[in-house]
Amino acid sequence: MPDSIIETKDLHKVYDGVEALRGLDLSVPPGSIYGFLGRNGAGKTTTIKVLLGMSHPTSGQVRAFGLPAGSTEVRRRTGFVSEEKDLYDFMTVAEMIRFTAPFFPKWRADLEQRYLRKFELPADRKVKALSRGTRTKLALLLALCRGAELLILDEPTSGLDPAMAEEVLQALVAHVASEEMTVFFSSHQIAEVDQIADHVAIIDRGKTAVTGALDDLREKYQRVQMVFDGEAPQAQFRAPGVVRVQRKGRMLTVMASGGAEAIVDEATALHPVSVDVIPVTLKEIFLETVAAED
Amino acid sequence: MLWYKSWLETRWRFLIGLVLLICSALSTVFTYPQVMKLLPMAQNLPVNGEIGRRIREAVELSRDFRGYVWSNWFRQNLSQTWTLFAVLIGTGGFLSHSSGGGTLFTLSMPVSRTRLLGVRSTMGLIELFTLAFVPSILIPLFSPAVGQHFAVGSVLIYSVCLFVAGSVFFSLAALLSTMFSDIWRPLLIALAIAIVLSIVEQISQISFGIFHVMHGESYFRTGALPWAGLLASAALSVALQYAAATNITRRDF
Repeated sequence: MPDSIIETKDLHKVYDGVEALRGLDLSVPPGSIYGFLGRNGAGKTTTIKVLLGMSHPTSGQVRAFGLPAGSTEVRRRTGFVSEEKDLYDFMTVAEMIRFTAPFFPKWRADLEQRYLRKFELPADRKVKALSRGTRTKLALLLALCRGAELLILDEPTSGLDPAMAEEVLQALVAHVASEEMTVFFSSHQIAEVDQIADHVAIIDRGKTAVTGALDDLREKYQRVQMVFDGEAPQAQFRAPGVVRVQRKGRMLTVMASGGAEAIVDEATALHPVSVDVIPVTLKEIFLETVAAED
Repeated sequence: MLWYKSWLETRWRFLIGLVLLICSALSTVFTYPQVMKLLPMAQNLPVNGEIGRRIREAVELSRDFRGYVWSNWFRQNLSQTWTLFAVLIGTGGFLSHSSGGGTLFTLSMPVSRTRLLGVRSTMGLIELFTLAFVPSILIPLFSPAVGQHFAVGSVLIYSVCLFVAGSVFFSLAALLSTMFSDIWRPLLIALAIAIVLSIVEQISQISFGIFHVMHGESYFRTGALPWAGLLASAALSVALQYAAATNITRRDF
């Protein structure tokens, strides 16, 4: 098995003169649940389309399972749910399943029956008559039953109410817990990435801003907060890993992507009343990273 | 299963076309006795110019059943309706949202785009051959009911001429469908081209042209098959399908 299930190097994609991807680097380890975070229009869907061969890269490398992305072999080993839950409106639920299954030699008939019951999918109803939530469940069933080694989900819970979103996420987590697979899912919902991902990449304007194991990121990213007697001084920090410095009244805050000790040393030299190192959430990492890019 | 999907996508267009053409073929046969009664009146219609010439030609052709069937059915009703359905069936394809959506779902399948297009085109061509042949074969079957006879072999030849030459319009619609994601532009452009070609051929009175080949005119008048026209239109159709495949392979979604 390759070191990375998905690997992109300096990936560029230009659509009609607009640069959707500007040198994207990704490495998705096997067996991970990889959250792909970014604002709307950051390049998440474009990346997924390039991975599945729906769009052609302008330059750079993109591979899945060590194979050129977009090859039929990659698609045979991959389950996919699009953001729009794109299915055939003219088919019934049963027809959709009958249509999809023969393409995948490892189709899991046992899972098909299980998810039909669990998701309470109406076999004889046309896809166009399904609610958004039921449509999402059908799309998920069709992706999960492929016997795929990789699951690519583009905004899997978009348009769902919180209860339905939670149900879909729980089903996903339960499935991944019982099957050996890698999940690569895009989202702009930080809470859901925080809830189920173990690895994360944050992209902004087509470039990777942050990437790594979520636990490592939480460990690396810290906020150093200094309180002064009077107005906080204008300070330049030379320690590596400074993402952003914010000065407000008596308080000086440094967001660091590592090396908090060195920053604390520099901060102490400014003679603050107190210096605290505070852990940060994924949401804060996201906001600070994306803000820093602005 | 791709065949099944292609069938589901196109079945209503095909079935509506089949029903319309069957009704039209039967009506062609069973109205022949009335046409024979009206012929003397039509002969003296005071119409001049191109329209007058065409009426007089149709009257002349209708003096025998073979000429009547060719003029009314193969040259007119079948040819016009079939061309409309060739364009309708060729339009859409797996890119079009009007074909029931699911473009990204289709593209996530482990199947090449060329194969997707190939299956869709083959299904369309099978339906179009059925539309050309099945209603037409009813003519020799029902001709004895009006005391007439029409050769089955001729039906096969006219159907092949219509199918091979007319498949150009199907392939044109298929190519246009790979360029536009809606159903309307490919439909309207392909139909407009078919109408313009038809009008040009009629006005210029040229003895060649795609509609002449589709009608099997040389076979009707001289008994000779329009080999050059058939080969040229088949080659054009293949070229249009090839262009559609190239276009679809390069395209970003």
